[in-house]
Amino acid sequence: MSLSDIWDVLVLGVVLGSLYAVIAIGYTLVYGVLQLLNFAHSEVFMSGGFGGVIALTIVEPVADPSGLQSVGYVLLGICAGAVLGGAVAFGLEKAAYQPLRRRNAPRLVFLITAIGASFFLYNLAGKLFGRYPIKMPTMYENKKLFEVLGAPVSVTQFIIVLAGVLMLVTVDIVVNRTKMGSGIRAVAQDPEVASLMGVDIDKVVSRTFVLGGLMGGVAGFLFGTNLQVEYTMGFLPGITAFAAAVLGGIGNVRGAMLGGLTLGVVESFTVEIWGDAWRYVGAFAVLVLVLMFRPTGLLGERVGRTA
Amino acid sequence: MRLAIPVAAGALLLTGCSSDDGGSTIKIAYQGPLSGQNVGLGENMERGIQLAINEANASGDYDFELEYFAADDQGSETEATTAAQSAIDDSDVVAVIGPAFSGPTNVSGPLYGQAGLAAVTPSATNPTLTEQDFGTFLRAVPNDNAQGAAMADFLSGQDGVDSVMVIDDVTPYGEGLADVAEADLTEAGVDIRRESVPQDTVDYSNAARTVVESGVDALVYAGYYEALAPFTTRLNEAGFDGIGISGDGSNDDELINLAGDAAEGWYLTCPCTNAAEEEGTQEFAERYQEEFDQAPGTYSAESYDIANMIIEQIAELGGDPSREDLYNALAGVEYQGLTKTFSFDENGEFTNDAIFMYQVEDGVIGYLGATEELIG
Repeated sequence: MSLSDIWDVLVLGVVLGSLYAVIAIGYTLVYGVLQLLNFAHSEVFMSGGFGGVIALTIVEPVADPSGLQSVGYVLLGICAGAVLGGAVAFGLEKAAYQPLRRRNAPRLVFLITAIGASFFLYNLAGKLFGRYPIKMPTMYENKKLFEVLGAPVSVTQFIIVLAGVLMLVTVDIVVNRTKMGSGIRAVAQDPEVASLMGVDIDKVVSRTFVLGGLMGGVAGFLFGTNLQVEYTMGFLPGITAFAAAVLGGIGNVRGAMLGGLTLGVVESFTVEIWGDAWRYVGAFAVLVLVLMFRPTGLLGERVGRTA
Repeated sequence: MRLAIPVAAGALLLTGCSSDDGGSTIKIAYQGPLSGQNVGLGENMERGIQLAINEANASGDYDFELEYFAADDQGSETEATTAAQSAIDDSDVVAVIGPAFSGPTNVSGPLYGQAGLAAVTPSATNPTLTEQDFGTFLRAVPNDNAQGAAMADFLSGQDGVDSVMVIDDVTPYGEGLADVAEADLTEAGVDIRRESVPQDTVDYSNAARTVVESGVDALVYAGYYEALAPFTTRLNEAGFDGIGISGDGSNDDELINLAGDAAEGWYLTCPCTNAAEEEGTQEFAERYQEEFDQAPGTYSAESYDIANMIIEQIAELGGDPSREDLYNALAGVEYQGLTKTFSFDENGEFTNDAIFMYQVEDGVIGYLGATEELIG
């Protein structure tokens, strides 16, 4: 592997890693606040892909869009993905988790409900949108935009990384600097004391789900742009992003970013060295190795204690 | 108990019916997906068979009346037993066309064997099916070995193809096809690189980069259109300018819907001919269009041929053959159909291994003809 190869592979890894990082935030926020592994987040992500397809199909992008039009289409897709992702996450919380919380259900029940909700949602999507994959309408010509140390970066790759970085920075600010963020952190640290201090726990939990859903929805749209949209698309990226959240230290927002990027880059180099069939073997070997030495993950703290 | 009497009476009535007119009617069954996910593929074959039966009845050439019998297995292994049993239980059924898919064939094959009922498949291509000695199984389509060999022949006959990358999608279909293509290309003296890219890969960028960096002249992809579509998109972006070739798993219009321009120029092999374009089947295609108000699809013409082959054998056996006699006649047949000549070796394997080429041109899958003729 020459030096230029290394840069090429690194760029591919960072692009994939940005996607994982944005999805991983959804897992980490919900876990941080509720200690709940929300496996249905895969389907929140999937619905973001369909949101983008639906919005763009309604708008019908022109055949040869100008630069400004292209930017408009991408922004529209991002918004549609975010809205649908947020809505599904909100509905999921209200329909599946809130009733359980009210009844003080044990943790295991939440986990099974999450898995059940995941099955329900992806089969519903299969019913609604068909079982065939759908191509995202063309929004721009995906040509080479510029080079980073000799490694080409295409328009799609640039959009993914740019959107990923912007979202990660936003979430970090929201969690650490805003009133909503201090609510989230307060509930994460100690729900009982938080509620005694006048924090509306239900509201905070709902907002946390919506925040994670917005991120997941955008990631779904970006992912669909890179590949194609399908009712089963949530599973693999979802489970990998979950692993990324654990790798970074589940419950830790910055850890999710770091974990996502790490997994993306490790996957990319695994594929380069051993081939695509080894993609997850390499990535998950790294996961196990890291957790052996740092059982709490790379950054290993929860939302409540990062500030 | 109250139910038992009507049920028993009904059963008597049913058995009575089938044995009463057993002498006059002869049924040809078809087992394939007539509901469920892949119903489109199943109906292509069904219509070909129905057309053959209708024409035989209308022709007045035969002194027996033919009837079509549908055994719907939904293309699934779990439904295959029930579907096969329904055909076996009807004593008027003298031969089955199908099963359509390899999975259901694996389950149904032994049942047909026990019943002595000939099962002639128009489309199940897994090579291992004929190695299991089902008893009455005949394959009227070249298996996946032939397809891999055709890819290899075609590529090694092209100018400037010295190195080829063979990529499978880590499914039984893809790996089998890739193994054959790899072996035959190696034999032809072409430099081979073998890679595996699982069909649910989340990002084809790395794989596309590997292909372009390796500098190969051609790429063989053994898998389905659903994965090939995003792969071709990435290959295009990465600047791959070699020859691309894939098999019947990718030979579907969905490939173009998903890949758009990126699939342009890709070659696709298939054991199926294009009925609307082949000279021998053009008339058939017109009659088919007239009868069903749509063009024949993959394996329609082949199913039509198989049905006619069976009808011809029934006539030669005097119009009322036993299942065993008809199977024996079919096993030794040499029948000239519209698409090709049908005959079988001692394992029931098809002796004809003609594979046909298609190429994506201007956003449609265009038909090029038989591989043998293209290579010359």
